[in-house]
Amino acid sequence: MTAATRAPSAQAWADAFAEASNTDPEIQAHGKYFTCSYLLDATERSYVVEVQSGRVVNVAVDPGPLDVAYDFAIRASAETWRGFGEPVPAPMYHGIWAATFQRDMRLEGKVLVLMQNLRCITRQIELLRVVGAPV
Amino acid sequence: MSRISPVTGHYVTLEVDGLEYKVFYLENGTGQPLVCQHTAGCHNHQWRGLLEDDEITADYRVIAYDLPRHGKSDPPENAEWWKEEYKLTADHYVNFIVALCDALELEDPIFMGSSFGGNVALQLALRHPDRFAGVLSVEGADYSPGFYLDWWQHPHANAAQVCASGVWDLMAPQSPEADRWKTWFYYSQGSEAFKGDLHFYSVDHDLRGRLGEIDGDRCPVVMLTGEYDYLTTPEDSARTAGEIKNGAFIAMPEIGHFPMSENHATFRRYLLQGLQALQDVKAKSG
Repeated sequence: MTAATRAPSAQAWADAFAEASNTDPEIQAHGKYFTCSYLLDATERSYVVEVQSGRVVNVAVDPGPLDVAYDFAIRASAETWRGFGEPVPAPMYHGIWAATFQRDMRLEGKVLVLMQNLRCITRQIELLRVVGAPV
Repeated sequence: MSRISPVTGHYVTLEVDGLEYKVFYLENGTGQPLVCQHTAGCHNHQWRGLLEDDEITADYRVIAYDLPRHGKSDPPENAEWWKEEYKLTADHYVNFIVALCDALELEDPIFMGSSFGGNVALQLALRHPDRFAGVLSVEGADYSPGFYLDWWQHPHANAAQVCASGVWDLMAPQSPEADRWKTWFYYSQGSEAFKGDLHFYSVDHDLRGRLGEIDGDRCPVVMLTGEYDYLTTPEDSARTAGEIKNGAFIAMPEIGHFPMSENHATFRRYLLQGLQALQDVKAKSG
């Protein structure tokens, strides 16, 4: 990987992601009850995203094993997450259902909480097309 | 200039396997009937672009119906359907489509369906090759497991949003955002039927090992699949078409599992190829 294409630092990505979500019209319009936390595991980096009433209130970067609790986990290889970070993702890198059915993504933990918040989570993950890959 | 659409809606009452249905359908155009089935848990507005496509409706009578329990077609009139779990079977689905074509007195219709409609297109070609001039199986395959999930009706989640956002990834990022959101909107309306439809899609429909029995001379099969479809991939449809006599496969780049609904402008180019391919097979096999 060259310096030119290198992803930003993990903290810079976390800040950009929180900003994008908290200023997104769709999430702000429909996120009144969007409250949950999830682990975004990109193998080489990981984050715990904490959302309260539609606002990202914290993104923990590379948390230790017992540092931060979360409801569910979205895990995939760095290569898969990099596909999500393209402005127009290639087929099967275009969403968590697609990558779970056809690539190496896994949805673990309290999947019910994911389903309860699916509309806003789907939008949040699509923000990677603008923010860039988390790894 | 009038802004009244040439598309008209009608109800027709028919009986299938002892059940009476009052079926709603939209139609426009003249010529050979092109009977269109929406996807699971949805309704006939998915075909809104095709129904107003001047070029295609000049040559075909496009008929897009709501399967019972969808859109404006109610559950059976003569049964206490609320006392049973809805689980669509291949037998009943096939019998319904044939009964509808009979009730509308359609001669030589082409059947086109997407997703669970694409799968039933293969069932029709297998079971009723003399009733249809050909079938267009959109996003179809011999077997499509994995989507008969409890999440579609889980009482602790918002079923409307789970269904609508659960199928969001089936659409391509290139498709117009407004059309993807219309499709999402339709899916927020059909959660009660969605899971029962998927009983056919992922459980009861299984033509593995039987594709060779389809008479592709009498009823040609053309399959079309979008590259963003994670359920029935282009590889699945190509493999299926390859095992059917005269079977043709058309790959559709930059589109997903709901091509007619998410991006009719792109889909219609492939559809015209598919209709031509059907006519070519018919001409060749005399």
